[in-house]
Amino acid sequence: MKEGILTTQAIAPDRSSLSDLELALMTETIEPADPRALFEEQAIPYMDQLYAAAMRLTRNPSDAADLVQETFIKAFQAFGQFQQGTNLKAWLYRIQTNTFINNYRKNQRNPYQGTIDDLEDWQLGNAESVTQSTSTRSAEVEAIDHLPDSDVKAALQSIPEDFRMAVYFADVEGFSYQEIADIMKTPVGTVMSRLHRGRRMLRDLLADYARERGIVAKPAATRQKVTRSTK
Amino acid sequence: MTDCGCDKAKAELEEYLHRELSDGDFQDISEHLATCQDCSDEHLIGLTITEKVRKACQEKAPEELRSAVLGRLSQISS
Repeated sequence: MKEGILTTQAIAPDRSSLSDLELALMTETIEPADPRALFEEQAIPYMDQLYAAAMRLTRNPSDAADLVQETFIKAFQAFGQFQQGTNLKAWLYRIQTNTFINNYRKNQRNPYQGTIDDLEDWQLGNAESVTQSTSTRSAEVEAIDHLPDSDVKAALQSIPEDFRMAVYFADVEGFSYQEIADIMKTPVGTVMSRLHRGRRMLRDLLADYARERGIVAKPAATRQKVTRSTK
Repeated sequence: MTDCGCDKAKAELEEYLHRELSDGDFQDISEHLATCQDCSDEHLIGLTITEKVRKACQEKAPEELRSAVLGRLSQISS
């Protein structure tokens, strides 16, 4: 719509009946908010979270820092297109995910890349239907609960990237499945499948770690082992 | 064959955990968990995994990164 139309006599309100605030809102003289100040106030507080996610993606601090820096630069340059009132954190994660895929993923060795969603569960080494008694379940809870953060991170790092990030977005960030689908550019059904398989693999790995640390009483034979990547 | 609710609960526990169910389904599962030890143990494992993952992923961005980003921003916008 042409700007001129808004100022024609027919729709211009009678100024005398307007409050000072309304008049102020109509005038063009209000300073637009400084975009950098706004960006620093709204986006920069997400740096810790973006960095933690970048650590999951790149698996090392130096690449993670580079990725976060690049994400913020791109986000700042595109900030004019961000619609205030919508989910800024999800918007930043979309940019970070795209940046990673374009700049970093090709440099990383990822044996599962591109085909992971097509793999059958048996190829992933999942033991989906495990029968467990109540006592082993509570032992499992206790064992997982006692694992150090380093084991949990190692387990996360060793599952395929798409599964790892779906788990990260859902369990760490609390994004909805639809938000994760938007960030990862994939259907919600795929998000659910990645989450389900990712969490299943994590659970098996954590059980393995707990057993290696001698924390757990769960019999090894009841469960098929997930192959643990050494890298 | 009587349905004790376990099949539905087991199938939907993950969506339950992530609050992705409709109000009706959420209530069904909540009621089932209150009476079924087996399913509530399974749910507890799910909760524990979520909590461990969340806790393990609380890295802080290094201070150098923060100042580098702020420096680049002021460079770009000046």
